[in-house]
Amino acid sequence: MSLVQTQELTKVYGAGDTAVTALDHVNVHVNPGEFVAVMGPSGCGKSTLLHLVGGLDRPTSGRVWIEDTSLGDLNDDKLTELRRRKIGFVFQFFNLIPVLDATENAALPLTLDGTSPGDAKKKARAWLTRVGLGNRLTSRPDQLSGGQQQRVAIARALAAEPALVLADEPTGNLDTHSGDEIAGLLRQVSDEWQRAVVMVTHDPRIAAYADRIVFLKDGRVVDDTKLKQDGSDNTQMVTGKMHALAE
Amino acid sequence: MPIQFTLAARYLWGRKLRTFLTTLAIVFGVLVIFSMNILLPTMLQAFQSSILTASGQVDLTITHKSGETFSTRVLDQVENVSGIRAASGTLERPVNIPTNFFRQGNVGAVSLIGLEPKAAQALRDYSVQAGRFLRSGDTNAAVITAGLADAVGLKLGDELPVPTAQGVVRFKIVGIRPAQALPGNEPVYVPLAQAQKVLSLPNRINTIQANYNTNDAAPRAVIEQTIQNILGSEYQLGGLGSSSELFASIGLAQQGSNLFGFLALFMGGFVIFNTFRTIVAERRRDIGMLRAVGASRRTIVALFLAEGLLQGILGTAIGIGMGYLAGVGITSLMSGMFEQFLHVQMGAPVVEPSLLIITTLLGIGVTLFSGLLPAWNASRVTPLEALRPSVADVEARKPWSKANIAGAGLIVIAILGLLSNNIAFVALGGFAFLIGLVLIAPVLVKPLANIFSAVLGVIFARQGTASLAQGNLTRQPSRAAITASATMIGLAIIVAVVGVMVSITGGIYSVLEKSLGSDYLLIPPSLGVWSSDVGADAALADRLRSVYGVGVVSTLRFASTTVNDEQVNLLGVDPVAFPQVSGLNFTEGDPHDAFAQLAQGRNLIVNGMTATQLKVKLGDTVKLSSPEGEQTYRIVGIGSDFINTKIMTAYTSQQNLKRDFHKTEDVLIQLNLAPGADAVQVEARLQEILAKYPQFKLISGKAYLQESQQLFDAAFSIYYVMLVVLALPSLIAMLNTLAIGVLERTREIGMLRAIGATRRQVRRTILTEALLLAATGTAFGLLGGLYLGYVMVLGMSASGIMPVAYSFPLAGILAAIAIGLLFGVIAALLPARQAAQMNIIRALRYE
Ligand SMILES: Nc1ncnc2c1ncn2[C@@H]1O[C@H](COP(=O)(O)OP(=O)(O)O)[C@@H](O)[C@H]1O
Ligand SMILES: [Mg+2]
Repeated sequence: MSLVQTQELTKVYGAGDTAVTALDHVNVHVNPGEFVAVMGPSGCGKSTLLHLVGGLDRPTSGRVWIEDTSLGDLNDDKLTELRRRKIGFVFQFFNLIPVLDATENAALPLTLDGTSPGDAKKKARAWLTRVGLGNRLTSRPDQLSGGQQQRVAIARALAAEPALVLADEPTGNLDTHSGDEIAGLLRQVSDEWQRAVVMVTHDPRIAAYADRIVFLKDGRVVDDTKLKQDGSDNTQMVTGKMHALAE
Repeated sequence: MPIQFTLAARYLWGRKLRTFLTTLAIVFGVLVIFSMNILLPTMLQAFQSSILTASGQVDLTITHKSGETFSTRVLDQVENVSGIRAASGTLERPVNIPTNFFRQGNVGAVSLIGLEPKAAQALRDYSVQAGRFLRSGDTNAAVITAGLADAVGLKLGDELPVPTAQGVVRFKIVGIRPAQALPGNEPVYVPLAQAQKVLSLPNRINTIQANYNTNDAAPRAVIEQTIQNILGSEYQLGGLGSSSELFASIGLAQQGSNLFGFLALFMGGFVIFNTFRTIVAERRRDIGMLRAVGASRRTIVALFLAEGLLQGILGTAIGIGMGYLAGVGITSLMSGMFEQFLHVQMGAPVVEPSLLIITTLLGIGVTLFSGLLPAWNASRVTPLEALRPSVADVEARKPWSKANIAGAGLIVIAILGLLSNNIAFVALGGFAFLIGLVLIAPVLVKPLANIFSAVLGVIFARQGTASLAQGNLTRQPSRAAITASATMIGLAIIVAVVGVMVSITGGIYSVLEKSLGSDYLLIPPSLGVWSSDVGADAALADRLRSVYGVGVVSTLRFASTTVNDEQVNLLGVDPVAFPQVSGLNFTEGDPHDAFAQLAQGRNLIVNGMTATQLKVKLGDTVKLSSPEGEQTYRIVGIGSDFINTKIMTAYTSQQNLKRDFHKTEDVLIQLNLAPGADAVQVEARLQEILAKYPQFKLISGKAYLQESQQLFDAAFSIYYVMLVVLALPSLIAMLNTLAIGVLERTREIGMLRAIGATRRQVRRTILTEALLLAATGTAFGLLGGLYLGYVMVLGMSASGIMPVAYSFPLAGILAAIAIGLLFGVIAALLPARQAAQMNIIRALRYE
């Protein structure tokens, strides 16, 4: 069974003359542990798709299933609980709480879920160590570089042991080197820790880390391609595909 | 610790300056409430204790309705009522003292008080500062006050001569009491039997005082009722009669202070509300992120309330501490004034445990309550807001939101309320108006900012900063509106209170001039407390009229009466002469007609106090009790004079007074000079005539007017002190909000610097912005303040506290404009400096 399944997912912003159809009857699925990249030109609906799958926004029509739960059936509290337990988010702008240190930021989903602060911090520390920040546990966000802040965000996304990690342009604000590191880390999230990852990006080099790439254009899925993760560089192939679809 | 508290504490700690400033707002709110409430009771206590000392600090005072003496048997009857712990009968009479009667000094009259030493001391304490109090067995012994002793140069052991029906009687001074607190005749305490003898009133008394053996309200009421039943309706229970004027003053002070306290509370709550609104706006991204990673709406509400709670506790604790210090400080400053003008000693401020509890609840409660709406708004922030890149937070708002429309609606309601002339609607309208202004402010910010920036643009030409500042404001009208409305509330309160004070002083002065505007006044020892005054028969007025150069002479006569068991002072005037030399401030009825009607039958003019208390209006009839039985009088006008404003008073013709009350004594005489008369000559002649009437003091109207005005100015200075106490925190609130406004835009300022704005330009921009905000807030504040002030004045007139017309507080408005703009600049100086010095990199990363 798929971890994520969308069914004729449609999102229209605004109404009347100014209405914008950001997603147009989209059907996509994500398997457990799978690393999916979502690509497409700016404004094609990538973020919208991610928001709807993550339960951050409600569709105009259609459905989103996470395992056997239809998000449309949940009230705000239930939806919030589902986000807390099943989904981890990584944002382009890191979005750490400036007044909390790395450990406390990473522990947030657990503390919000009622885990005792001691346990929550222990888990957060373990995840921070795994993402390579074992030596910056007590640093505050403003004392960390962009790449490091994004690692804290990833540790935070993983702390509650979710089945799904959603990342919207996680490398969009990073230099090439840091971007590669973060993409590699997300690869590891899928390979080593068996979480499904859905990552929005417009960078073919970053998308090449994924198992599968979904291409969107004008709110519709125009291509769905599997990649072989056998150590070879897929960047060339992804770039080619991008250009072909842009025609 | 729950995550909400951790986060709350971190946010507070992480933004120390901000936390300091907002906590300061709470501190000041609490400070005002707390200091006012320990200050005023202390003041009132001083007032009250002086009244109680004067009235005998007893549970019950019994007098005859006519004010005349009665048999000592009545005392026996009262003593036999169960529940009476102690009772004492006294005979009190004013005794006029001829001029040059004593070896030195002159006193117009003394109050001879005959009492049974044992019974009297069982009731209350008669402390002496030298010698001893009277004891049983004393005969020609007297205890006098230090005031009298000093005035006439007598000391312990000397003999005090008193003029009586039996010639001069000498009393040996055995004790001296401290100077009395209240103005009025100096008391001379002598044994009751002696007083009865010298006044030729054997076995008569005119006052019974008693204490109960219980403090519970119910049994006390039963005892009082029993006594009333036994004695009958001829006797009056519990009345403090002559002190009613002071009680009325206390009531006024209490109402004034309640108003201040209420305004302070409103303001404190508003500042906190504003702060939270700002914080929520500033932290939208954080909130969105928390929501995205799984914080429920309840968690978000709890987070803000936790922050409110922490700040509330901290601010309340500091506020109470500082409030106490302020209370103590102001008390010690004011006690000097009190001693000088009221002869009252103020005690140390008293903090009731209940005040501590109430203030704590109020401080924390108001903080939490004010945080509620912003917290709820915060919980409505969608997780998506965390994900949107924060390029430019230009507010995309509809030209008129629901809140704006509601605000406009409230203002319309307020104006309708004002037009309705119904006090309840007008008062409601006052609040509708302020809230309406707050709600509509965002829409008005843009046009106002445009106007003011055009003005500033002229002043700061070439800099380009005015338009940048204006852009900043109009880009985020609701944030600008928050800041401006803090200024607004602060200034509105100042303008309102100054408006009220100007109206009251203006009102009082105009009444003063009307009442005491005659060229000369012959005044008795105690103005207003007519029953204790001894007057002169008509011969004096006739002699005065015959003096060459004297024009019109008008006299005032007095009788005490009751209407529906309420005591009313009845003053007899000459309907022709009175309006010529003096007059009344009419609120209803035509002055000319009213006086004309006084001359024709049983007609009355009542003052505002009487009209309110008796619930009567023009044309109504009332039944006055008189020695001739009940008489029906018709009300032909409602008007007040200055002296009797706060006492239930009615005016009628001297003919009526003579026919129904047998009173022909003149207790106050006013006269005008004839045109072209020589004032010096006339005055000398008047003094000659008055030598035989020592109970009257001759003063020129102008001098008296001045004297009275000085007294009022002194009394009003207390209110100005309160105004400062209240204005200060509202101004600091404004400073606070402006400073926060700058803090909030740290990142933006960093950006300005990064793209090449010089420090000077940044500083200019912030200053200009603050000025624009201050100007906007001041404009709103003036509107709100004028309305509020008008409402308060109307309320005072309608409730019969004091009939005054609203005066436009021009001085208050000018002061408010100056203060508003000055504080706008001061509030911006520090942040502007900070912004200019800002490290660009840090500023850009400021979250
Ligand atoms: N909150 C919104 N209101 C109106 N239109 C929106 C909103 N969010 C996104 N859109 C529009 O929907 C379309 C898809 O947006 P988005 O999903 O953000 O695209 P992408 O992430 O692929 O760049 C765009 O045309 C965008 O302008
Ligand atoms: Mg996007």
